Amino acid sequence: MAVSVQLQNLVKVFGATRAVDHITLTIEPGELFFLLGPSGCGKTTLLRCIAGFNEPDDGTILIGDRNVTRLPPHQRDTGMVFQSYALWPHMTVAQNVAFGLEMRKLSKSETARRVEDALAMVKMSDRAAHKPNQLSGGQQQRVALARALVIHPQCLLLDEPLSNLDAKLRLEMRTEIRRICKEAGLTAIYVTHDQKEALSVADRLAVLNGGVVEQCGPPREVYQRPVSMFAASFIGETNFIYGILERTGDQTGTVKTDFGSFSSAAVAKGLNSGDRVVLSLRPETLKLGDAPADAPNKLQGAVHDTIYLGEVAQHQVRVGGENGPNLKVFDLNPRIIARDGVEQASVWVDPQDAVVLPADGKAAPE
Amino acid sequence: MRKQSAWIMFTLSMAVFLIGLIFPLILVIRNGFVTPDGQLTFRYLIGVFENPIYLEGLRNSLRLAIGTTLTATLFSLPLAWLSNRYNFFGKGFVNALVLVPMILPPFVGAIGFQQILGQYGVLNALLGLDVDWLGRGRWVGVILLQSLALYPIMYLNISAALANIDHAMDEAAENLGATGFTKFRRITLPLMTPGIFAGGTIVFIWSFTELGTPLIMNYTRVASVQVFDALKEIGGNPFPFALVVVMLTVSVSLYALSKYFFGGKAYAMQSKAATTFKETRLTGIKGLLALLPFVLVITLALLPHLGVILTSFTAPGGWYQSVLPDVFTTDNYIEALGHSMTVRSIRNSLIFSLLAVFFNLILGIGIAFVVVRSTIKVRGLLDALAMMPLAVPGLVMATGYLAFSSYLANEVFRDNPALQGIFDVRTNPTVFLVMAYGIRRLPYMVRSAVAGLQQTSAGLEEAAANLGAPPLVSLRRVTLPLITANLIAGALLAFAFSMLEVSDSLMLAQREDFYPITKTIYELFQLIGTGKYIASALGVWAMVFLAVTIVGSSLLLGKKMGALFRV
Repeated sequence: MAVSVQLQNLVKVFGATRAVDHITLTIEPGELFFLLGPSGCGKTTLLRCIAGFNEPDDGTILIGDRNVTRLPPHQRDTGMVFQSYALWPHMTVAQNVAFGLEMRKLSKSETARRVEDALAMVKMSDRAAHKPNQLSGGQQQRVALARALVIHPQCLLLDEPLSNLDAKLRLEMRTEIRRICKEAGLTAIYVTHDQKEALSVADRLAVLNGGVVEQCGPPREVYQRPVSMFAASFIGETNFIYGILERTGDQTGTVKTDFGSFSSAAVAKGLNSGDRVVLSLRPETLKLGDAPADAPNKLQGAVHDTIYLGEVAQHQVRVGGENGPNLKVFDLNPRIIARDGVEQASVWVDPQDAVVLPADGKAAPE
Repeated sequence: MRKQSAWIMFTLSMAVFLIGLIFPLILVIRNGFVTPDGQLTFRYLIGVFENPIYLEGLRNSLRLAIGTTLTATLFSLPLAWLSNRYNFFGKGFVNALVLVPMILPPFVGAIGFQQILGQYGVLNALLGLDVDWLGRGRWVGVILLQSLALYPIMYLNISAALANIDHAMDEAAENLGATGFTKFRRITLPLMTPGIFAGGTIVFIWSFTELGTPLIMNYTRVASVQVFDALKEIGGNPFPFALVVVMLTVSVSLYALSKYFFGGKAYAMQSKAATTFKETRLTGIKGLLALLPFVLVITLALLPHLGVILTSFTAPGGWYQSVLPDVFTTDNYIEALGHSMTVRSIRNSLIFSLLAVFFNLILGIGIAFVVVRSTIKVRGLLDALAMMPLAVPGLVMATGYLAFSSYLANEVFRDNPALQGIFDVRTNPTVFLVMAYGIRRLPYMVRSAVAGLQQTSAGLEEAAANLGAPPLVSLRRVTLPLITANLIAGALLAFAFSMLEVSDSLMLAQREDFYPITKTIYELFQLIGTGKYIASALGVWAMVFLAVTIVGSSLLLGKKMGALFRV
């Protein structure tokens, strides 16, 4: 039932900007795939190309083995959940949900049965006769989801479906959406700018920037092994340290910086000895305190500012002397708190967590 | 909207505008500047300005237009301001009533007006005088009648401008020390100037070229009546065409200037008023004082029509040198509605107007879709063209359609009697009357449809397409139901104005079989003896019919009457 969605060399130009710039992606059958990026990165444009609301200037879109590139939206058999929900205010909840089935000329009884099932799935059965404006935001969101799901689309498209909900509801709905998609075995493409949403729900995600795919992979891989400075800084937080690479193995190498050298076991592909590179160190991978004697990549640091958040403290640590850079360090169950003065401490990091990236990344370094 | 369908709709609409708007105007200009043997000449134009009679006509038309615009502003400005700032007993009621004169044809009111102000009329009977109020100052009467019919247009525009003024601007002025009249002069007035000019332009163009009211008031030395009379002459007199070109130039330049200086964006607020004025509640004497101007203006505006109603119930000759008619009768109605000419004219008007509204709906929705939902670059042009009929006076269009008809009948289809019959207004004006009614009321339709679409998120249509609805199904099931209120409002306005259209009806309907109501009223009015009374009866019938239609539909819509006219 579930089918794949393939985008081949897709291009969409608006005036002088390339909203989608030669994007090639394959979304596997039954996969929950996320398009993640800042506003203006082209993720919504890409989704609207798949739905048929934007006509690509070049490239091919395959849903299953059907080439839908030039097909009008109503013949594509996708179910879309709009950011604004786009529930028709002149129809009841049940009529909204039944609309797609009517278009598919299903029998009255079959339509009624499926509408009932769909509303039950999103727990909205008791609101069937209400008009959309009588529902809360979360309820409208669930109706929009039911309306898209009830037609058993070949592919579910979600355009920032949770962005209009409050934080608590957002948490609740994102697990709900994953449950529903997995139960129905749907291929789903989900657009968001919320990295937590993407990391927690996605099977795989693509980080978009300026109309191109910066990186594509499972959440953990994208987070732990970013391939560009943009990918590293857009998802989660990170510290960048510039240096020169000396390769020692397939994934290993040493980076010489102004205040010592770092050994890394996570050197990105395509980098050679002598390249100007950047080290990406996640704040939570940096360790702080009295370093054991064999601690790798050890630096002397001065903790000069701490934001205490209870379970975690966010430190600002100056390394490499007076004029050295500041590193952000997250310390779970913190022991050191720098409030009124400076605390001296060691900082070290496992080579596995010292990711080496090409320094010509498009993102502006901090 | 897909590019392809946008282009199809664009081409279709452009064709309609070319045929129904541009080409007739070109013919008017041709007739005014080209001699019968095809030579370009300015002789006719110079002739207009050398002929003292035409010059006087133009001067008088200008005087009517300026006078009407100023008077209408005088009527509407205080009312709009009061309604914007204060709340008082009866406000909702007078707010709706204040717009009613818009659908009462001033040229019908003129009949009652004369009954009141005539030498043997009500006012003299009341005061025991023997003054011919309408004798030398006939133009004052025309100005008064026209401004009483047109002030609602100003009122709506000024109200809209006032509603958009952010309260914070007023408060900022007060905070910096400006109060009372200074604040009004320095802050409020400049901010509402675009509204005043937008309304003023329409009123000016309307009254500059108004034909019906001067005709009934027997004020013949105005350009519009001169054109009307001259075109009735047989044998292609080119001077009326040159005169029409002058009137067209004045109207279009004024419209263009107003658009250029106040074209919506000049004083556009950064956003819609964030904090609108909290209306001050007026009670007791103050409330009554606020109500008074409304009552005065409305009474004044309804007075001529009250005169018409009374006239329609008067036995011929039974209202002479007395305050009220001496002898009441319903014979006029029996005669009016039994008369084959009137019954036919009602049917004709209904057919012409319904056809016009039908085409308007289709065209209006189509154009609105291209303007609001498509991305093709030329959509701005379409939008501007759809508003053009507001700038082109009815008289000019009527002249153009006359020229168009004679061009088709005498040049294009000369050898095809069947087609000749269809396109010659002397045999059958249906095609051109429907075209005239339709094109001239199209702006209202387009405006309401555009407003409806702008309020309706495109996402709702995309959702329908996404769930498998082809474009036409999505239109029928989603878009149209959502903009029904707007469409009905636009269609009603177009219908009402078509039923009571004057210039095109008087000029294009030349055979009695095809007279619409207005032409019949005019013809009946000219009959010596009973004519005036039967004409009044038919006029009253038309007003009642329209009132019932509009009030009925507004009840069905569950909206206040005023909302219908805020196009």
